Amino acid sequence: MDEVLFAGRPTDVCLRLPEPIDRATLHRLVTAAQDRLTAAGLRPGGAAALRLPPSLAYVVNLLATWRAGGQAILLDHRLTDHEVDRALLRLTPQVVIAPLRTGGGALKIFVDVTEGVTRYADRPAVSGHAVIQLSSGSTGPSKVIGRTAADLVAEVHRYTRIDGVALPGERIILLPSMVHVLGLVGGLLYGLHAGVELVPPQRLSGDAVLAAISAGTTPATVLGVPFHIGLLASTRPAGTLPQLRRMTTGGELVPAAAARAFTDRYGVPLGNMYGMTEVGVIGTDLHGAHRPSIAPAPGIEVRERGGELWVSCPASPYVGLSDPTRWADGWLHTRDAGTVDEDTGLVTVRGRLDSQVSVGGMKVDLTEVEATVTELTGVAAAVVVWDDGITAYVQPDGPLSEETLDKLLAERLAGYKRPRTLHLLDQLPRTTTGKLVRSTDALRSAVSP
Amino acid sequence: MSGQPDLGRADLLSMLAELTAKPAAEVSDRIGSMELAWLVHLVEQRYERRLDLADDELVGIRTVDDALAVFRASLTAPTDG
Repeated sequence: MDEVLFAGRPTDVCLRLPEPIDRATLHRLVTAAQDRLTAAGLRPGGAAALRLPPSLAYVVNLLATWRAGGQAILLDHRLTDHEVDRALLRLTPQVVIAPLRTGGGALKIFVDVTEGVTRYADRPAVSGHAVIQLSSGSTGPSKVIGRTAADLVAEVHRYTRIDGVALPGERIILLPSMVHVLGLVGGLLYGLHAGVELVPPQRLSGDAVLAAISAGTTPATVLGVPFHIGLLASTRPAGTLPQLRRMTTGGELVPAAAARAFTDRYGVPLGNMYGMTEVGVIGTDLHGAHRPSIAPAPGIEVRERGGELWVSCPASPYVGLSDPTRWADGWLHTRDAGTVDEDTGLVTVRGRLDSQVSVGGMKVDLTEVEATVTELTGVAAAVVVWDDGITAYVQPDGPLSEETLDKLLAERLAGYKRPRTLHLLDQLPRTTTGKLVRSTDALRSAVSP
Repeated sequence: MSGQPDLGRADLLSMLAELTAKPAAEVSDRIGSMELAWLVHLVEQRYERRLDLADDELVGIRTVDDALAVFRASLTAPTDG
């Protein structure tokens, strides 16, 4: 790991929080954390679960886990105890790293964390992967995703061959969470490897992003998700920003109007990336020249089969049960609808073919939300759909208020997965054979007949 | 409030409508952390000042009305300097 991530000059600044953390300091912190993890029970071949918000503690403990020969299980800090307990039972880490104290709050991108390490199980990791991430829901086949060290290193090298990424000596203004693939590999690991300074803004606002850009003299690339385009497009810059090279987003399609509003205001390219937790970056359009299409990243093949995009992926990325309709024979079936242009090779993603939706760049599987609502005491049946937001239609089997329902869900589902709109109905609409109706029009009509 | 009219519920709903590309009448009253960040950002842009919001105030915000009460209190608090 050291040769991939710590090979640069010891005095080079890796992170600016805003106090600079240079490579030698980071290495020292990682070594000390490695000792703590080992003392707490982490062994080579075992796993450490990180339940930390984006923070220096997260970076240090992630790298320390790998240095100790362990597998890192990345748990989004917004997951509820209910969700985390289920994941830990299944993944049996030797240690769990969680905050004892967190400073800074809801609008922070990077927070101050004092972490604690607790022993959990005395079992080896469930797989030989270096990192484990959960897609929405941790149960059922193809929900637990693993990436090997070799696969992560290959993705980092892939980034170095993409035209338009931040170059050595430049800065990435880092907005996406480093628990998820874009911020983790496209931000943290690429930045450490390439000698690119990582600068999380002081808080989640347009002004703070512009302040982070202006705080240095070197070229800056803003990395984010489409939500962040809106933040910047609605911010009035106080002056010129000669350091700003481009903004690049991943996570979901960007509406043409949002892209135009950004480029009109800042006059720099708005790049687009397409990737998945399973394989990392799949394709890019970092110059904004092919919007909404992207060109496959070096070494990645994309083909279209029956309207679905398939991506080359030599080994199954799934831990435990692997659904053959998700991965087979070296191809990941993305469940994204799309096309591949025969002449140019450009890929156009048209949207999801399943019940997965994107909330601020976070993938949420509506079947997980619906199952959680349906399992609640007091609920007879529920249908959860995407209607410009996660919307739940619920048939109670007794007295149940919207407030109680919301409170019960808050104990079981991370905030970004929770329905924004709840409708309680005496009877959910059903087909003549008794199946629940899922059409948004029919469900809306049932609310206001 | 620096020459701007008082912040009202309708203002917040139209800001959320801008985020979700929905008519303001269809905007949900329930807000999560992303919607909250968006509202704070737009209110700060509108009043050209930073809202001084404590963590426990932000954590308690679950609805548009919660947000409105917290923003109004912050906007009417005296600014430093």
